Order: sequence, then structure tokens, then C-alpha cells
Amino acid sequence: MKIDLKRTIDELQEYYFLAVKGVLGIFRRPFYGKDFVEQMDYAGVGSLLIVCLVSLFVGMALSLQLSAELSVMGLKMYTGKVVGISIIREIGPVAAGLVFAGRVGAGMASELGLMILGHQVDSFRVFGVDPIKKLVTPRILSSIVMLPALTIIGDAAALLGAYYIAVFVSNQSGYVYWTAIEHVLTFQNVFSGIAKPFVFGFIISSISCYMGLSTFGGAVGLRRSTTRAVVYSIVMIIMADFVLTRILLYALGFSV
Amino acid sequence: MIIMEDVTFGYGIKPVLQNATLKIGASERVAILGGSGEGKTTILKLILRLIRPDSGRISVDGVDITNMEEDELRDIRRKFSIVFQEGALFDSLSVKENVAFCLREFSDMTEEQIDVRVHELLRVVDVENAVNLMPSELSGGMHRRVAIARSLAAFEPKMFLFDEATTGLDPVNAERICRLINEICREGTGLIIVTHKVIDALRVAGRFLFLLDGRIVFDGDRQALLGSDNPAIVEFLNEFRMEVE
Repeated sequence: MKIDLKRTIDELQEYYFLAVKGVLGIFRRPFYGKDFVEQMDYAGVGSLLIVCLVSLFVGMALSLQLSAELSVMGLKMYTGKVVGISIIREIGPVAAGLVFAGRVGAGMASELGLMILGHQVDSFRVFGVDPIKKLVTPRILSSIVMLPALTIIGDAAALLGAYYIAVFVSNQSGYVYWTAIEHVLTFQNVFSGIAKPFVFGFIISSISCYMGLSTFGGAVGLRRSTTRAVVYSIVMIIMADFVLTRILLYALGFSV
Repeated sequence: MIIMEDVTFGYGIKPVLQNATLKIGASERVAILGGSGEGKTTILKLILRLIRPDSGRISVDGVDITNMEEDELRDIRRKFSIVFQEGALFDSLSVKENVAFCLREFSDMTEEQIDVRVHELLRVVDVENAVNLMPSELSGGMHRRVAIARSLAAFEPKMFLFDEATTGLDPVNAERICRLINEICREGTGLIIVTHKVIDALRVAGRFLFLLDGRIVFDGDRQALLGSDNPAIVEFLNEFRMEVE
């Protein structure tokens, strides 16, 4: 694969400017409140069912795997604790982020790409409306707000799924499971799990908006930018998750 | 007054427009003709500085806009009103909201005043009955007419720019759009129309530019265009003559 270094640097620079201007738009007039609410509805409410469904099954699968492994060692009673920590700190935010990237990121990139190809973005510029403030800022802000909310709801769904497996399949005590979950709901764990989706929301929305707004070349170009938005978002979520985990473990005083 | 001096622009390494030099007066009615991919729309985008030229200079009313930043261009762009190919209406907004967009963004009008103005503009373009429809529910002709209404609502432009305003329309609707263009441009307002339909260009313009391989190879009036012996223009006009016959 041939990499055009100059083009890559140019793209990174353009992405950086777009992301910074998109965030600064939150603090500068005019405010597009209606667009923000619309985006929250699309990104948040629209993703609720799929995030819950994915999280539920991830929790069930995780509980199944851990129950099987821990019962061999006679440590089945620790299922709740391990599942709880895994979901709250790690799997919940990443699963919600990946679902969000697939659904919302692709939607943002294709919508903005189509607006570029249909000269709608040019129309904004001719009318004197800043397309970054009008289109990018509400998308970034709504993602930053809605992804943490979705993560919390997704975590709850995953813990319920894990509970069902632990209690009704693995025949563990429900009381022991929920007591273990209660014990892992510490500030450190919850903060660690809630801080990540803020960053993931920003990453997904800024990458997707950039890809959408840099669309060219008709239907093929739209396919390319949508694919790139999802792929880059997913890769960046996984990478950012590692970096954030390292930082948060250090900052919250966990020893590795 | 628009002045382009030796302007070259390309997407990547492929030049779309090469060494274009032209002057267009404020109240002139100009048609830019040529086949697909010859750089016609590129000229409109350069005039509005939606794209930055690779070389050369562009000025509007004596102001050099070649290297202006986006914020500085706002006042320059408000001298123009553009109707993009296929209208470029905002998909997520109804016809009413599309036409009202600039009124809501930039004027102090109340909702009642905006409502009255929107209906007035839609009456001018004869699509008043489509006020609550979404762009996806409009026909091609209605799309263009709503786009024209939106462009009229914007500001008080000195010049209208039309990008393939009649492309894809049946002859009746195309003639209707041309009549509408003549109506809105009759009071000394300038006009630049980009088209590959000669018959529509002759309906609305008095000066004609012809682009071939990204270069302006002809600049003249109706008589000069119809009498041109440039083989590319002759071939281009043949289709028009066949249409007339």
C-alpha cells in the first residue's frame, strides 16, 4: 500500500482545524439549538435500542464465559465482580462506542457527504452561514452528550444480561451477584467507564464530519468517505481506549 | 464588476480551467456555454470563491478576493445569489423552511412577517401550493423554482448566478424557468448562467462565452456566436439548430 505522506499530513491538519473549530463553535454565537436537539434525537434516542441489544448480549456472553471458567476453579461467586468491572470499566464504553461509530458515524458521514455533493454546503457558505458551526458543532456536542448516556444505559443492559446467565443458567445466587456489582460501583470504576465515552463521542463525530465534508467523486466518493469514517472511528476508539485506560489507571491510583 | 485574470484551477493534477481571463460588468447578462466537464461551473465557484484558484487573480467590485479568508468573503458573496444545479435545497427542511432560511438567520422579521414574505416569493415562482412539501416530494421544475425563491429571499443581490438552471427539465418547464429568470433580472441586475442548452442561453443572455478544454475560446454576442466558424462551436450549435428545425 502506497502512502502519500504530504497528503496524509494535509488531511491530518485539515481534520485538526475542523475538530478544533467544531468544538470552539460550542462557545460562540450563533447557537443552533434546534440542530443540536435534532442530532441528540438521531444519535441518542435513535441508537438506544441497538446499544441495549448489543450490550445485553455482550453481557450474557461474558457471563457465560466467566461462569464456565470460574466454576472450574471453584470461584463462581466472583462472576459478578469480574463481569461488573469488565463491563463498567472496559467493555461497556467500547461496545457502545463501536455501535455508535457504525450507526451514527456512518450516518453523519453519508449525510454530510451528500450535502457536499448536492451543493447544500456551498449554499450555506454563499448565504454566509458557517458550515462548521451549523453542521459540525451540533454533531460533536450531541455525540459528547449522548454517548456517555448511552453507555450508562448499555452498561445496565449488559449487567442484566450477565445476571440472567449467572443466576438462571449458572445457578448462582442473585443476591451474591448484585452485592458484587454494588461493590464494584465505586467512584474510580464508574468514573473510568464514564470518562471514556466523552472522548469516544468526540472522536467518532469529528472523524465522521471530516470524512463527510471531504467527500468528492459522486457515489463512489460517498462510499469511500462513509467507509473511512467508520473504519477510522473504530480504529481510533480501540487505540484511544488503550491510552485512556493507561492514563485513568494511573490517575485513579490503580497499580498494574 | 467581476475580473478574472489568468486564472487556472484544477482538481489534483488535472487542470479544469486554464488561464481564464474575463471581465463581466455589474448589469451584464452572460451565458457560459460548453460541454460537460469543461469548467463552466468552476467559473461560478471561483467568482464566489468557494474554491481557491491555483494561480491568477479574481476581483469583485475592485476587491481582490483571490486569497481572502472565509469570514472576509461574507460581504462579497452577499452581492450574488446563486441557484445551483438541481436547486441544492436543504433536504431536512420543508419548502417553507428553505425559503425562510435566510430570513430567519439574518433578518429581524417576526414569524408572521416571514410567513407573508415566503408566500409572496412562492407566488412569484408559482409554487405556492407546495409550501409544506419536503424537497424530496418536488418535481425537477418545482425544485428549481423553489431554489429561485430561496435565492430571492436571501439578500438584495447585484447579480444572479445560475448553474444549469434548466438541465433535466422538459421544454415547457425549461421555458418557464427562463421566463422567471428574465423577470427577476429585468431591473438592471446582472446574470451569469452556466448551461449547455444553447436555446436557454439565447433566451436569457446577451453575451456568450464558450469553454473548450478548460479555456475560453469564444467571447461575443448572439450574432457572433451564431456566425462563429470555430468547429467546436459549430458542432455545439448544430444540436441547437436541429432542435429548432
